[in-house]
Amino acid sequence: MSADLTTARHASSDDPRVMLEEAVGVFAPIPPYPPRTEREAEFYTLGDGEMFINMGPQHPSTHGVLRVVLKIEGERVVDLDPVLGYLHRGVEKLCENADYHHTIAYTDPLEYVSALFNEWAPVMAFEKLMDVEVPRRAEYIRVLSGELNRIASHALFMGWMALDLGGLTPILWSFIERDEIVDMLASLTGQRMLFNYFRIGGVNGDLNHEFMSRLGAWMSKATSQIEANQALLNENEIFVRRMRGLGTLDREAAFRLCMTGPNIRASGVPLDMRRAHPYSVYPDLEFDIPTRQEGDCLARYLVRLDEVKQSIRIIDQCLHDMPDGPIMAKLPRLMRPRPGRAYAAVEGPRGQYATYAISDGTDQPFRMRIHDPSFVHLQAVGLLTSGNLIADTMAIMASLDPIMGGVDK
Amino acid sequence: MDSPSRTFERLTLPGKVIFTLVPILIALLAGLVMAIVLVGPFALDFLSANLPLVRFVVAATVVLLMTVPTAFLIIYMEMKVIALMNLRYGPDRVGPYGSLLSVVHGLKVLMKEDFTPTGADGIVFTWAPVVVYMASVMTLLVLPFAPGIFGVDMNIGLLYFFAMGGLGVVGLLMAGWSSFNKYSLIGGLRSAAQVVSYEIPLTLSVVGIVLLSGTLSLNKITLDQSGSLFDWYVFKQPLAFLIFMIAATAEANRTPFDLTEADSEIVAGFATEYSGMRFGFFFFAEYVNVFIVSGLAVALFMGGWNAPFDWPFPIVAQPDLAGMGVGLLLAIGLIPPLAILLLAMPFYLLNTGLRFWQALVIGFVLFNVVAVAALLGFAFISFDWVVGLLWFLMKTYGFVFLFVWMRGTLPRVRIDQLMGFAWKWLLPAALLNLFVTALAIVLVTTPR
Amino acid sequence: MSLIPGLGLARGMALTLRRFFEPKVTHLYPEIPAEISPKFRGRLQLLYDEYGTLKCETCFQCAQACPIECIDMGGEDTKGRFAVHWGASETYGERREESALRRSGRTVPDPAYEHFHEIDLAPVDAILDEVDHDPKEMLRILEAIQAAYGCVPVAALKRVSQTTGAWYAMLYGTATYYDHLAVGARDDGGPADVAFLDALDGALTGRSIGDGSAADA
Repeated sequence: MSADLTTARHASSDDPRVMLEEAVGVFAPIPPYPPRTEREAEFYTLGDGEMFINMGPQHPSTHGVLRVVLKIEGERVVDLDPVLGYLHRGVEKLCENADYHHTIAYTDPLEYVSALFNEWAPVMAFEKLMDVEVPRRAEYIRVLSGELNRIASHALFMGWMALDLGGLTPILWSFIERDEIVDMLASLTGQRMLFNYFRIGGVNGDLNHEFMSRLGAWMSKATSQIEANQALLNENEIFVRRMRGLGTLDREAAFRLCMTGPNIRASGVPLDMRRAHPYSVYPDLEFDIPTRQEGDCLARYLVRLDEVKQSIRIIDQCLHDMPDGPIMAKLPRLMRPRPGRAYAAVEGPRGQYATYAISDGTDQPFRMRIHDPSFVHLQAVGLLTSGNLIADTMAIMASLDPIMGGVDK
Repeated sequence: MDSPSRTFERLTLPGKVIFTLVPILIALLAGLVMAIVLVGPFALDFLSANLPLVRFVVAATVVLLMTVPTAFLIIYMEMKVIALMNLRYGPDRVGPYGSLLSVVHGLKVLMKEDFTPTGADGIVFTWAPVVVYMASVMTLLVLPFAPGIFGVDMNIGLLYFFAMGGLGVVGLLMAGWSSFNKYSLIGGLRSAAQVVSYEIPLTLSVVGIVLLSGTLSLNKITLDQSGSLFDWYVFKQPLAFLIFMIAATAEANRTPFDLTEADSEIVAGFATEYSGMRFGFFFFAEYVNVFIVSGLAVALFMGGWNAPFDWPFPIVAQPDLAGMGVGLLLAIGLIPPLAILLLAMPFYLLNTGLRFWQALVIGFVLFNVVAVAALLGFAFISFDWVVGLLWFLMKTYGFVFLFVWMRGTLPRVRIDQLMGFAWKWLLPAALLNLFVTALAIVLVTTPR
Repeated sequence: MSLIPGLGLARGMALTLRRFFEPKVTHLYPEIPAEISPKFRGRLQLLYDEYGTLKCETCFQCAQACPIECIDMGGEDTKGRFAVHWGASETYGERREESALRRSGRTVPDPAYEHFHEIDLAPVDAILDEVDHDPKEMLRILEAIQAAYGCVPVAALKRVSQTTGAWYAMLYGTATYYDHLAVGARDDGGPADVAFLDALDGALTGRSIGDGSAADA
């Protein structure tokens, strides 16, 4: 075996003048440690004609720093192993060492494309801990900005989806869409991406003139613009043929995988936190929960499209029903909630964002657990991808829409 | 002995340079003249005896030189057109409307480090881009640009074209294999599978044309389409044209079929490990391929250099320049200044606030524009090949625009869809087209 | 997906061609500055109150609190004593290590501080020896320095920080808090070269001597 190996020369670490020759025809075993579980042992044993291919953490289409080890046979993916943790920042631990107010700044960048929902869940949990009643106007502002953020996130999803299928144009059109919304939110919250806007007991600032004028200008053209953009993909034969019937997830499997959000709604389950566990002012608002029965990538894509329309509807209602009043509850600067525990879940663009906080009576949370939908959805990749082609891995991953910032926390 | 050197010392630096260079130049020139006088007649005899050889060398040089600006133009076009479709401005900083950006890209690629990855097969790795590039350059040789403007008029031109076009995949396979990278390997194998599959419908789709024109020479096929607009083969073989366009897109690895370098799946395919000018060669070859495929489509289906309609105005009688004698000299001496003055007049007299010299400058520029336009018009009217080249390039860049437009619009197909499409749809359709064409020819030509 | 194959593709192509001719949305940034809403919080700059006075009191609390060492300060403050650099240390040409060093209390070479070095530090050393370099005796040290120099020179503060190990930020905060301590004030009691440099400063910045630098901290 060693006869036909290529050799490479590299400098010795001990003596830089000495060049060592090293055989490079053999790879180091993957992973470089003995297998820890049966599943791992099974996965890292190569069958006949199979090989590993390492996608990520630096790869054009893994949505951040997800690493996927694919076991392929030709073009067909036999098995797959997602490797997480490249973006781990220890946010939960950081939050335990921060004031209740400060945690919002830490949870904000978890899912960086829809930051408001990452603030909403902990803020709601802390409000439950402290028995704060949020002013109604603040709730309406939260819903309004949250739905805007949902549209921005879904717009980006559609662009990414097309980009992962090789279309160059939709991503830029999506970014135009998103940029308008994000500029709007910047005039409301003061930031474009990591808003840091929700506060325990309300929101940071009231609606202002600039935000309202931008929102009005956008609302008048939003629906037609989004529909015009989607005409490029929705009727495109190549796109539809690639997506239809791919990565089908049935009801049972979706339940077992604890999927939430659009991904389970595409499998025919009308599960939506806004209706299932109503919070904020959602009970007062009228909107439908779009569902699809197919459960394939195309359904997941189209469900999100319908959700955008529902979000526009909700925004419209918010603008009509917005009451006057304060935007912050009266709260002390330093919060020391009674010892106890609280759980709050909100419906984000990817599914259920939840926070479980335990207070021990000090001004810092004793424990804070963040539930992120992307992490849960990523479980399905292995189930859906096996037996498909390499190109389909990208399509399936894009349709599940994981954000690695949230997965790795 | 000493005085010349002292005199030389006293010279200024330019003086020294001139006094050194002038004798050398004179010597060289004398040598050249002597050589021409002595060897010239024999060399001329030899060259005139081997005119095809001269033609080939000139054509090869021109074609090789032509690829670079062509690639630059198409790269710029791709950047700009896709940007405009994306509602961006695209390149707009370097040169007018950013048109020099592709040149800057070329320079950047030249300056980058050119490394070979550890474990790569060095020789194959180095030669792969050369093979790819040479394959596309060599196909360019048989492309008829205009009447009399083509590299070689081969009687098996079309066959040569497809053979050389198929050679490119060898380079891609070499690159994929030698890179020591799994993405490269998958990209190389994908390109092999794709090109081999699409070569068949591509070749079969043009057999109908070969049957109709009775020749494989691209030049003669183009000549066959002269006449009216409806002599173009696209009207006689519409199905073949459709098949040809789809297969050619796959052959050139362009967007709905660009699986070999699908960046969202296999990073950059065969080019993953390449950098610097080696990558530049792949890049150039890709865009030259686009030009070639468009040129072939034009030559086969769109009438080549033939204008779609006749020049509507009768050609003006050409002036007898030699007969004018001294008058010609006078005209050359007098017309430019007079014309400049004439063109400058309105700007100076119409109270525009311009000074006289500014008006003169404007007049000069205008005169140049008018003169160049007149010259071009003259060439357009009096030389056949200028018209032909213009039409050919216009049509070809129309097709290039189509390819770029497709890239801006369409997502990528999957590998199994790609292969299934070639074997299940394109191949039967091409065979059907061939059968119908042959049947029609038999029916028409057989005396009843 | 329509019944006629290829119709969807053709419609997509038509859409992109229509966009080809539509007005573009790119912001041509360097030529046309971006519109930033008044509420935007992302800008690193110091705010002024309605009288045009800098709101920053140079208390260094923000610099101490910043967990990623993004904020640092130096230079001249509201009363013309100390220039304030705001933002990441890189933005005003100082390396992060230098910034961290300075924050830790040790002095680092900084061109902006050069003219503060022009004092004789022997009295400071004597005072410090007297209290055995004990940072807990900070007020006493500072009062002694005030008595020795007639003010609390910045260079002396740095020396104290360097030898006792106390944070420069804390020292500065302490010294500026008390009314009887005059940080960087250069009245008659100060060394001659300081007075000269102050005059030079005044000539350069267009204010009279002792105007901005009065010991009214």
